[in-house]
Amino acid sequence: MSVNMNKEASTWEPRLLGFLCQWCSYAAADLAGTSRQKYPANIRIIRVPCSGRVDPLFIIRVLCLGFDGVLVSGCHPGDCHYQTGNYYTRRRMSITKKFLEYLGVEPQRVTLSWVSASEAGKLTELLSEMNKEIKKIGPNRLFADEIRRNGTETSP
Amino acid sequence: MKYGEMEQKLRREARALLKEGRVDIIIGFENGSLKFTTTPLITSDEADIDRLVINPFINNNLSVFLTETKGRVGIVVKGCDSRSLVSLLQDNKVTRDDVVILGIPCPGIIDLDKVEQLAGKERDEIIDISWAEASVVVAVEGERKEFPIQEVLYDNCLGCELPTPKEYDILLGEPASSIGVDNQADSLTKIKQLKDKPPEQRWSYWRNEFNRCLRCYACRNICPACFCKRCFVEESEPQWLLPVPKWQDNLIFQVTRNIHVVGRCTDCGECERACPVNIPLRSLSREMYQIADELFHYKAGMDKDIPPLMATYEITDSEDLVK
Repeated sequence: MSVNMNKEASTWEPRLLGFLCQWCSYAAADLAGTSRQKYPANIRIIRVPCSGRVDPLFIIRVLCLGFDGVLVSGCHPGDCHYQTGNYYTRRRMSITKKFLEYLGVEPQRVTLSWVSASEAGKLTELLSEMNKEIKKIGPNRLFADEIRRNGTETSP
Repeated sequence: MKYGEMEQKLRREARALLKEGRVDIIIGFENGSLKFTTTPLITSDEADIDRLVINPFINNNLSVFLTETKGRVGIVVKGCDSRSLVSLLQDNKVTRDDVVILGIPCPGIIDLDKVEQLAGKERDEIIDISWAEASVVVAVEGERKEFPIQEVLYDNCLGCELPTPKEYDILLGEPASSIGVDNQADSLTKIKQLKDKPPEQRWSYWRNEFNRCLRCYACRNICPACFCKRCFVEESEPQWLLPVPKWQDNLIFQVTRNIHVVGRCTDCGECERACPVNIPLRSLSREMYQIADELFHYKAGMDKDIPPLMATYEITDSEDLVK
């Protein structure tokens, strides 16, 4: 299920998925590109109209699909294009993250962050940081199917 | 506990409500087909009123029927059910004027499994279960065994925060005192044990549990907080989950369900009781309840005049998780 599962640990690079708000973080990623700043190439970005669009179900699905980390990034509090979207995101994500942690998901896998359209530097730093953190905890095997009902290991 | 008196009062009030036309339907409990069980009774017929019962086995949360019934309803609720009802009011699913709430001051509901285990007898061999002051007396052939109530009540009753409904029209007895204050810890034993394990073990614990799940959706159907007309599991475009019971999908279903009901779940424990394969669902929902309390100081169903947890925000909400 997870990508790069069988590769050597030394060559393994995490795969990240980012949900970036089109009014700020997505523009910041754009700015990072146009200003030739380097950020880890292993992130795939999905543009969302507002960080409030991100359903907790997305997060869980992304982890189930085998991505090693998820980033949800939106405008700073008070800066939301729709006035209040990111406040709802904050509530939703704090609950989701805490709950996933209780279930046994490493907290490093889910990140929420505020990045404005001018903060290309912050975004690149954040992504490198995430990359580093997730490399430490290793690939996402949470939803891998290798353990069968009777608890014995079988090859995938 | 004076169940007899409460029962008589309930029948009197319910009959009057129907006769005067103040309600169209009465929702209450009647005796089940098995010993020491009850089952919901939904009726508009006065002749059925004498079947209404109140005893320590009325475990169902009847507020789940409110979103399905039409007309004005007289409903029997315990403390926890009244909280579910209040959260339905908060969500504008139910109009306050359309319900007449018959509140039961509830000292706790007896878990028959625990009694069977303690007494070492099957349900059929037990002759009678009755309340004494702070204990429960179980009569089996030729002997009487006495157990402290903390040992025979459901786990969620041990942590009860509202034994007597706060929102009611008619209260059927004297307000009951909460045993929750002293027994919070007992009610959280399973969760505590789980939290003491390292993350990988927790995850494999849940993985094993959800291997058993049949996806019968009993937990969803019995939950008063799960009132969506169309559930995300039945969406086909996009199809979030396959209907086939695989543990991954089962886990995603249950996790998402818990996220959906946060701020509505009142820890009534119905999901766990409804589960045919005994998945400890309350260990999920109770933790979610805790998280909502810790992060936002919000307890579901305590105040009908405040907006639901996830439909509002505070500018001062915690920023701890934000990077």
